[in-house]
Amino acid sequence: MLRADNLTKKYGDFTALNGLDLSVNEGDIFCLLGANGAGKSTTINLFLNFIEPTDGQASINAMDVTLHDRETKQLLSYIPENLMLYPHLTGLENLDFFCGLGGKSHTQDQLESLLRESGLQADFIHRRVSSYSKGMRQKVGIALACAREASVLLLDEPTSGLDPKASNEFSELLLTMKKRGVATLMATHDLFRAKDTGTHIGIMKEGVLVEQFASEEVSFRDLEKLYLQHMHN
Amino acid sequence: MLPALIHIAKKEIRIALRERLIVFLGLIIVVLLGVALYAGYVSYKQQKETIAQTRSEKRQEWLHQGDKHPHIAAHYGTFAFKPKTVLSLFDFGLDAYTGTSVYLEAHYQHEFMFRPAQDHSSMIRFGELSAALVLQILLPLLIIFLAFASFTRERESGTLKLLISQGMSFHTLAWGKILAYSLMLSVILVFFLLSIGLLYGMGVTSEAIPDTAVRVLLLLLLYSIYLFLFIALAVWVSIHSSKSRNALLTLLTCWIFFTILMPKALANLSENIYTLPSMREFKAQIEADKRHGPEGTTPLSVQKANLEKEYLKKYKVDSVQQLPLNFEGVSMQAGEEFGNQVYDHHLGRLRKLFHQQNRMSSIASLFNPYLAVRHLSMALSGTDMYTSIHFEEKVENYRRELIRKMNKDMAENSEYGKFYGYKAGNDLWQQIDDFSYRTPMARELLGHYHLELISLLLWSVLLITLLTYANRKIKPLHG
Repeated sequence: MLRADNLTKKYGDFTALNGLDLSVNEGDIFCLLGANGAGKSTTINLFLNFIEPTDGQASINAMDVTLHDRETKQLLSYIPENLMLYPHLTGLENLDFFCGLGGKSHTQDQLESLLRESGLQADFIHRRVSSYSKGMRQKVGIALACAREASVLLLDEPTSGLDPKASNEFSELLLTMKKRGVATLMATHDLFRAKDTGTHIGIMKEGVLVEQFASEEVSFRDLEKLYLQHMHN
Repeated sequence: MLPALIHIAKKEIRIALRERLIVFLGLIIVVLLGVALYAGYVSYKQQKETIAQTRSEKRQEWLHQGDKHPHIAAHYGTFAFKPKTVLSLFDFGLDAYTGTSVYLEAHYQHEFMFRPAQDHSSMIRFGELSAALVLQILLPLLIIFLAFASFTRERESGTLKLLISQGMSFHTLAWGKILAYSLMLSVILVFFLLSIGLLYGMGVTSEAIPDTAVRVLLLLLLYSIYLFLFIALAVWVSIHSSKSRNALLTLLTCWIFFTILMPKALANLSENIYTLPSMREFKAQIEADKRHGPEGTTPLSVQKANLEKEYLKKYKVDSVQQLPLNFEGVSMQAGEEFGNQVYDHHLGRLRKLFHQQNRMSSIASLFNPYLAVRHLSMALSGTDMYTSIHFEEKVENYRRELIRKMNKDMAENSEYGKFYGYKAGNDLWQQIDDFSYRTPMARELLGHYHLELISLLLWSVLLITLLTYANRKIKPLHG
């Protein structure tokens, strides 16, 4: 589903991402770990075609995202670290608006149901988003991904700043998406969440994917040791 | 693409309605528009009633002036009035400067009277509150406040990334927002249309403009294009600005330049390059030329002597007393025509300066859509320079015909040297029809405004091109 071939991004002399090769298949949750500036968000932004690669290719369903911007975006859903919605609209109105952009039509009942399934409290569905916590907004983002029937999920530190309960609920939702066959690429700092939720883990450092493995291959303790080892080197 | 546009537009309208500031600003504009139209209506009503009453009185005075010599009647004279039109209450245009009535008599082309600009302080030069002023200057300001953050706020809040990640192009987003703002502002234009309709319903019509309905529709089209240009400009600037504050500053700078700085600077520049003589100088030159004859023309005394010889030869007589008509009438008409020739010569020079000033403003309108709309709005409202010139020409033709008829009657019915021996009566006064005026058709008037029409077309093409093509390479993130 998701594939990076020698994906590189440079800003002048600074190399933000250097020759990244990775693939994420149906039902995979690939977690990218790394410190700030390691190239995790750059990778996500390249798959979103928000920035142009200096070299290499990012493709979704074998389509180069720079050449098939519209088609590839039809397949994906994106949840940034801090999902911003329109504060003057309710959660339901926001969901309705963003679903409508992709040409998907849903009844109000269906959208309400999606929001509830995503864990949003029923009495918040019709409240303006200005009163939502970050976790609630992330849940609207998941509802949007479900409503759009996205086959690819790009998550940029989605659990950063969430309380443990909200973070746990978010992981549960990801596992639900995994069962539906959604390919997920998630940039995160959260080792525990990566081990707990991810099927594959990659460690990035200074724009390079220095390690990648299946999450079942390592214990949480080994993962932590490996991560710190790379960070200290 | 259309469903997406409508979808975006709906969301924009919903948010704008929930943001009370925009609704409040919109209401202020509507109230100002209403006040301007009402003030225009009160002024229109007063002036129309005054003109109708004075016109009737002056007509009665002419018809019942009693028996007198036709030349005395020619000096007794009458008045011509410029009818107030329903559209002039929308755009006052040059009405404040050109005057509404003129005294007509033999030998003289009097100045127009009742110019509101003479009765007001110099502040009138900054513009009276008219509906046109609200639409031309204040509504673009509302558009700026409505649309300056159309993209920058999405970028700053992070919603732009989410929008673009849904597969939306900047192009679709931009047009969706333009559609939303256009729909919101169309409420104000509909209000204008309803107001004009209401005035019609109240019997506020004018025969002076034969094609009022066409003009109202053209005004609607004109202002729709103008408002679209400002919306498109605001959205485009917002797309290309990194921050809302930058977008607002850029747009306010454009607004000040277009609506205040450039028009004022242009007016000063054109006045310096093509300086108009004062009314006193203008009249003094005419009087001097009437006395001595303009350069290259035969003096009046010689012309009259030649005319006398011509008449004596034609009627085969030795003296003017033997002519079958009163030569004084013929001579009087010759004097009138000589005066007209001198006047036309000087008026032609004066109008050439007017045209040159106007031409400069028209060329400048290619770079400033506000100027284009201001000129076209005045033209369609019948308050522009060309309508004013058209009126002056009709009035002068009427005056000349009146004097010609008086001189003809004098020549045919009175005796040479017995000025007080003949008196014309009511029959002659009745032969002079009351002065009535109709403006040229809108199509005819617009022929003077090619550059302004081209300006609007070019600005539309430019902004549509910018919005269509310049956004292709834009990304929600810089890099």
